[in-house]
Amino acid sequence: MNAVEMRNVTKTFGNVTAVDGLSLDVPDGSIYGFIGPNGSGKTTTLRMMMNIFYPDHGTIRVLGEDAHGSSHDTIGYLPEERGLYKKMGVREILRFYGNLKNGKDVDREVDRWLERLDLSDWGDRKVEALSKGMSQKVQFIAAVVSNPKLLILDEPFAGLDPVNTEVLREAVREIQAAGTTVLFSTHDMSIAERVCDFIFMIFNGRKVLDGTLQSIQSTYGRDTLRLRCEGGASALENLRGVEKVRDFGQVQELRMSESSDPQKILAEVMSRTVVGSFEIASPSLHDIFVRIAAPGAGEDQDD
Amino acid sequence: MIKTLRIALREYRAAVRTKGFVIGLVIAPIVMSGGFLGIKLFEDRVDTGDLVIAVMDHSGLVTQAVVKAAQARNAESIYDEHGNKTMPAYVIEPVDAGAGDIAGLKVNLSDRIRTGDLHAFVEIGPDVLRPAGEGVDARISYHAENAAVDEAREWIERPINNHLRGLRLSEAGVSDSAHTEILSWVGVEGMGLVSVDPETGEVIKAERSSKGRALGIPFAVVMLMFIMMLMGAIPLISAVTEEKALRIAEVMLGSVTPFQFMMGKVIGGVGVSTTASMVYTVAGLIALKQFGMAGEVPPGLVAWFITFVLVGTVMMGSFCVALGATCSQVNEAQSLTMPALVPVMVPMFLLIPITLHPTSTFATALSLIPIFTPMVMMLRIASPVTIPAWQPWVGLIGVMMLATFAIWAGGRVFRIAILMQGKRPRMADIMSWAIKG
Repeated sequence: MNAVEMRNVTKTFGNVTAVDGLSLDVPDGSIYGFIGPNGSGKTTTLRMMMNIFYPDHGTIRVLGEDAHGSSHDTIGYLPEERGLYKKMGVREILRFYGNLKNGKDVDREVDRWLERLDLSDWGDRKVEALSKGMSQKVQFIAAVVSNPKLLILDEPFAGLDPVNTEVLREAVREIQAAGTTVLFSTHDMSIAERVCDFIFMIFNGRKVLDGTLQSIQSTYGRDTLRLRCEGGASALENLRGVEKVRDFGQVQELRMSESSDPQKILAEVMSRTVVGSFEIASPSLHDIFVRIAAPGAGEDQDD
Repeated sequence: MIKTLRIALREYRAAVRTKGFVIGLVIAPIVMSGGFLGIKLFEDRVDTGDLVIAVMDHSGLVTQAVVKAAQARNAESIYDEHGNKTMPAYVIEPVDAGAGDIAGLKVNLSDRIRTGDLHAFVEIGPDVLRPAGEGVDARISYHAENAAVDEAREWIERPINNHLRGLRLSEAGVSDSAHTEILSWVGVEGMGLVSVDPETGEVIKAERSSKGRALGIPFAVVMLMFIMMLMGAIPLISAVTEEKALRIAEVMLGSVTPFQFMMGKVIGGVGVSTTASMVYTVAGLIALKQFGMAGEVPPGLVAWFITFVLVGTVMMGSFCVALGATCSQVNEAQSLTMPALVPVMVPMFLLIPITLHPTSTFATALSLIPIFTPMVMMLRIASPVTIPAWQPWVGLIGVMMLATFAIWAGGRVFRIAILMQGKRPRMADIMSWAIKG
């Protein structure tokens, strides 16, 4: 069963088509990563799932129901732009949001989550007293406090320091383990690779990737060489059979052209310089993202 | 419905917990009643210093009569029963208006007024006994710094004219003894209407019509209503815009529909109005009872007041919420406050003509235009004049229909506008959203 099903969904704003004939299935109980460059239609898609925007065409089913005309109490939602009433107390606002979702044992859940995210001491403080990271964690609790069946998070890790990112990542894993389907958008490819069971990429309002990380990488084959060598990128210029060289300083990543022989490329590199390490690999999600969304690959558009 | 009420409760708590609300609750009636209180406090605090009035009588007929009348007034009317002086004495100073520089004399008298040596001077024309036509020589002019509202001017008319009439009667051969009766003056008392006690069948005598009843109650009721609707509806514009700017709206829309969100805010606003209404109404009724004026409140006034405050706040609140949703910045919202105030400001501008003529065609028509009905109809209901019983009901139905439309159209605009950022939509866009959804 799928938690979310979208079929040929299109949404336009004036002359701009934000989402164009999009179809996707979010399997029940999975963690589904939603990636795409800025303005590609991620937020619009999530808002349509939340029934905040209505699609112009196509159908959306969320948790087995057509998403029209009602809000879902069983969906938790963390919007991209965080919004909390500054004058309310932390515990007070979390109870408010939990009750608004008709959550069960809201008071107990609020206290449990505050403790889980190390915010117990801040429960009686006003929201305006919180740091940005704390506010983000409070906003996260607001999305999960009603124990939703589906959790939609729009850029949940944006702006968080590594410690808080790890805390939220673990929390997301816990929630999934408890049976909740989690769908989140992110620009952090490493998180998407590490956390997501399925990855969906949208670009210019259209689906460009959809599947597990392995299945996505397999469509690109093992066309990537990672190596360390003396002289770095300058020793790798104009190699035959190499389309592009990406220089990470200590490591260089080479994308091979189709039907190139990695052994020949290695031989040529060795003829130029001393090679410290050499690996034939699948492209990273980051690399795949850049290949699709880099300037020239398509036109950017805003939501 | 429970979600709407939860939002309403949050809105209500957020509003009534603010210092602004508490201060407003106290300050508003003080400001409103300040004028009446001031008049009451200062009406007995009259300057009782003597007022010197110069009389320049070109006819030579009137001065002595005015002097005598002033002396009589000073002896009879300016002291209370304890011998305390309660009013200023009028001291008449005859001025020789014989040959000379009249213009220079008038300048000199005016300068004396400016220095406070003189209160006023009266110039009586030479032909004042025969005021046929409008000749300047028959005029009586009163010169003072504030002549238009000067009580002495109002007083001096009578002794001058009474004396001139007496002279005319004597010339006509009427004996002096008949003058008093001929010149006697009977005032017209303002009285209410006679009614019949429905239980005993007895005729109930009319009561004296009071200015407080005729003007004070309608003014007070409408001022209260003005404040109630301002407190309940207008802050919703900036509140919604602020929630939009702070991105709270999208969080809310993850849990409730736009309509529930909007109605929660409107009901919260109505709650604020109702709270303030109750506080003021109860306080007002207690105050009226304390002063023995409870009988001055027309039957049904309180019920109509609360009803019109509620539906008026819903109507205005729905429009305000929708307008607030179209703005992205608080300063944009502030610029919309004035147009949103039209339903309460127009009746305030027309307060006097409607109060004086509550059954006029203009007042009746205006009270049946739904956007103005709450304020104007209340003004008419609160007046001592009985308006046709059907009119408040028809007005109420009109307001309820407009309020329903405001909720419906406001909800459509709100749903589209609440997540829009950037340039404010044009009025044509807003109208289109309201109609087409």
